[in-house]
Amino acid sequence: MNLFDDSIEKLRSFLERKRAADSLHELIVSHKTWPAGERGNIVLASDTAVELGSPEQESVSFMVWTEKCGLIKNNRINLIGPDISEKKYSGMMRSLPFGKVVLLKLKGMDENNSYERHRQIDMARYDLNLKGYMMRAASQYMREWSRVSREAARSGFSFAHLAGALSAIYSRVEFVTGVEYIFVTSSTADVRSLASLGTTVEKRINAMNKMATELAFDCNSCDYTEICAAVEGLRSMQKNKSRLMS
Amino acid sequence: MSGKKTKAIISLCGKGGVGKTTVSALIVKALIEDPSKRVLAIDADPAVGLATALKINVKTTVDDIRNQFIELLEKGGAGDRDQVLGLLDYEMTGALHEKDNLAFLSIGRSETDGCYCQVNDLLKDIIGAIAENFDYLVIDAEAGVEQVNRRVLEKVTHLILISDLSTKGIKAAETIFSVAVKAVGFDKAGLIINRVRDQEEMKRITLPSNIAFLGSIPEDSVIRNADIEENNFLTIESTPAYEAVKRAMRALGVAGFNTTTLPGEGS
Repeated sequence: MNLFDDSIEKLRSFLERKRAADSLHELIVSHKTWPAGERGNIVLASDTAVELGSPEQESVSFMVWTEKCGLIKNNRINLIGPDISEKKYSGMMRSLPFGKVVLLKLKGMDENNSYERHRQIDMARYDLNLKGYMMRAASQYMREWSRVSREAARSGFSFAHLAGALSAIYSRVEFVTGVEYIFVTSSTADVRSLASLGTTVEKRINAMNKMATELAFDCNSCDYTEICAAVEGLRSMQKNKSRLMS
Repeated sequence: MSGKKTKAIISLCGKGGVGKTTVSALIVKALIEDPSKRVLAIDADPAVGLATALKINVKTTVDDIRNQFIELLEKGGAGDRDQVLGLLDYEMTGALHEKDNLAFLSIGRSETDGCYCQVNDLLKDIIGAIAENFDYLVIDAEAGVEQVNRRVLEKVTHLILISDLSTKGIKAAETIFSVAVKAVGFDKAGLIINRVRDQEEMKRITLPSNIAFLGSIPEDSVIRNADIEENNFLTIESTPAYEAVKRAMRALGVAGFNTTTLPGEGS
């Protein structure tokens, strides 16, 4: 199945431009465990060291996957902008724009299981439960808002820990074979650049959702016809659905 | 008890105009004076008076979120149940107005026609989950506690009935109490008589025998002026009405406040 391979290539180009501008930091996922918090915990603003992608800030979060070998650099973190643990955040709460992309290497994807599996891995982030870390996400708007407490920041919580905790969750999913991350905290403009790449991904996910959840649909009157026509994976899902309906 | 850490969910009910909002604001003031305690104030009165008393500029109410969500639902863009929960949690956390150890949530006025019971239940579940992050909840309610039960939380721990000296106010408090006994879960309840000029006035009224009397709050020019001038109740200095509210809290036996010292009274 191929739904996002071209989007992954565009993300690579984005990273290469940042590398050329010397603003890309490549890190490795930390396998050191971070203490668990209470589910659904709220970090109040008065306890917050760093806030990422708040409703008042630019924010984008999405996920892409591929089965193709070599497209995903497993355990790699691509960070553009400051890390959470930087010492300058020890004073007042710092609010930053936030972009996050999770790139996954999957296996065994086909037109029958793509929707359910995509949904399964998209929801996996809600299992994240880290002490001093609050995350709220609106997948309908591709937004993710998080707060890191002063205590967690003082204790050295970083994107490597966050990615490590996410990777631990993804590693429990049998069809995930690799994970790579992009985190952007540098500027509103950089997050917007990432968001524009996410728009294509969002349309494809919406098309996939429509095909999977609507009992009957007519391609002639569907808003996603052009999108499906352009993506091989969606075309095969469409054919499969038509076969089942006939 | 709803929360993992929540010590008390205090709901204030009573006839309109008896001073529920004023007493709610003073309770919030007493609770937040201990900076180690997290307090969530919920304005469940559509008049949004508690926000005014606490000088909070409400940007988004729970009903705004409900209405936006219903619109999204009708367009078919809400997603499945888990995605819906994620979105509502995101929006509701964003609707919290924060001031140090105080967070504030406004319920707003329900204006959407039609039955959206599932949406209301989801919102109530999320309010419950948010509440678990706080030591104390103070709910400034509409007249009856059943509205709290329907739109905010299933159960309160402490029900405070407020009345002025009027027979109408006291009768309303009795009615609210009898409804609460039948329809709403609570652990403790009590009655406060507000705006008493002198104790001679108290002798002229008959208190209900079945509701614990928590005390009276004197008519207080500082409070009156704060109301007239829309001052922030959180910055009011110690005043007889405030001290009376703290005594009433103690009489009600709110968990963690049963000792002789209340937050704001020092050690």
